[in-house]
Amino acid sequence: MDPNAFALLAAGIGAGLISIGAGIGIGNLAGPAMEASARQPEAAGHIRLSMIIAAALLEGVALFGMIICLILALK
Amino acid sequence: MASNANIRCRWIILLLAAGCAFPGPRAAHAADEGGELDAVAHTADGVYLDFSPFGSVELPRIFLRRSPWGLDVFPSTRAALLSERYVIEHEENGHAEVLHGEALRDAIGHHEHLYAKLKPVQGAIALDLSVTRHLAFGILAALIVAAIFLALARRYRRPEDRVAAPKGLFQNLFESLVVFVRDEIARTCIGPRYREFMPFLLTSFMFILCANLMGLMPYAGAATSNVSVTLTLAAFAFVTGQRKGTKAYWKHMFWPPGVPYPVRLLLAPIELVSLIAKHFALALRLFANMMSGSLLILSLIGIIFTINVLFGSLAATLVAPVGIAFTLFISFIKIAVAFIHAFVFTLLSAIFFGMAVEEHHEDEETHAEEQPALAG
Repeated sequence: MDPNAFALLAAGIGAGLISIGAGIGIGNLAGPAMEASARQPEAAGHIRLSMIIAAALLEGVALFGMIICLILALK
Repeated sequence: MASNANIRCRWIILLLAAGCAFPGPRAAHAADEGGELDAVAHTADGVYLDFSPFGSVELPRIFLRRSPWGLDVFPSTRAALLSERYVIEHEENGHAEVLHGEALRDAIGHHEHLYAKLKPVQGAIALDLSVTRHLAFGILAALIVAAIFLALARRYRRPEDRVAAPKGLFQNLFESLVVFVRDEIARTCIGPRYREFMPFLLTSFMFILCANLMGLMPYAGAATSNVSVTLTLAAFAFVTGQRKGTKAYWKHMFWPPGVPYPVRLLLAPIELVSLIAKHFALALRLFANMMSGSLLILSLIGIIFTINVLFGSLAATLVAPVGIAFTLFISFIKIAVAFIHAFVFTLLSAIFFGMAVEEHHEDEETHAEEQPALAG
């Protein structure tokens, strides 16, 4: 088989796995944050802030993966 | 960015959106209508401003040439080619072919020169300093921000104005943004030394916001969807933060107290890599988010044409409203994303500044507890 085809396949599978990972991560993060701010509305600002920070860091890891997939796919 | 999916090259874009399944039937037709370009490159950058259907404006080309050394400045790509000091490398079937005379004029007529790679007749290009679309829109965003804030600063010239309530829409709107950056970002993340970083944080927030929002304008583009722009912003954040780093901060990075000696040697490189990776991720996050939005719109529009090729025009007509509705939805998401990512970039750089200027207590034992697990 053509090596380019393998690269494209790897990029596609990789992108899917990244989405799964990032989805699980963001889900685990956002659910409890919602619950917490519903329980303590006065702390909602702090919770949102730390949620965004954690989500951004989590997303950063996913983006690294995505860039690698992009490199694989576009090469 | 939907305007970038211009009519001239939509066939190529849809073929690429369809993947490699349809390389054949429409390719010849597409080559007639425009140059060869791929969807990603078209969304990303270019040497012209696209105002289709009203035409396009070519941007200046600036090349630093070596052997012999020299700086060549042309008002446009067309002028560079017509001066006969630069030629197009036309690639066909793997081997490069140089266009001359009639063939060159023909290529310009088909706007092929806008996508082609230029090559000097003598020597080689050492550095391509051409003004690209993203650079042009980045400079425009910077000028807009400068105009807004110079006008705003004039309202605070007298000391009594600084304590008075803001008057009018303009001052209210932007003062609330400034106060937001100061109170929600700088003060909470950096601590008592937040004032030193306010100029950087405000500038980066407003520039990124302005550039992001320009990505939603018809005919304009987001400068932040270019990785060079975001890497430069992250490099500024890196330098701004690190040069203010306290002694304790550097000590904790290279010689962390309260850790066994062999581990210290191991930790220093890890800390260094993590420091650089943090700022690299800062750049990639902004870039990928701005880029993916436009690619998503491109794919959603492209799916209509893909279905037209696959299942005929009836199916495409049925799919078109769905595709357009999703595009509208994504466009609304993009408005939110423009604000969120200006905020996130500024917030994270503020957190990195906060780490650099944080006053560490000399109590070494409690070190592990007082550091929140933010180092990602």
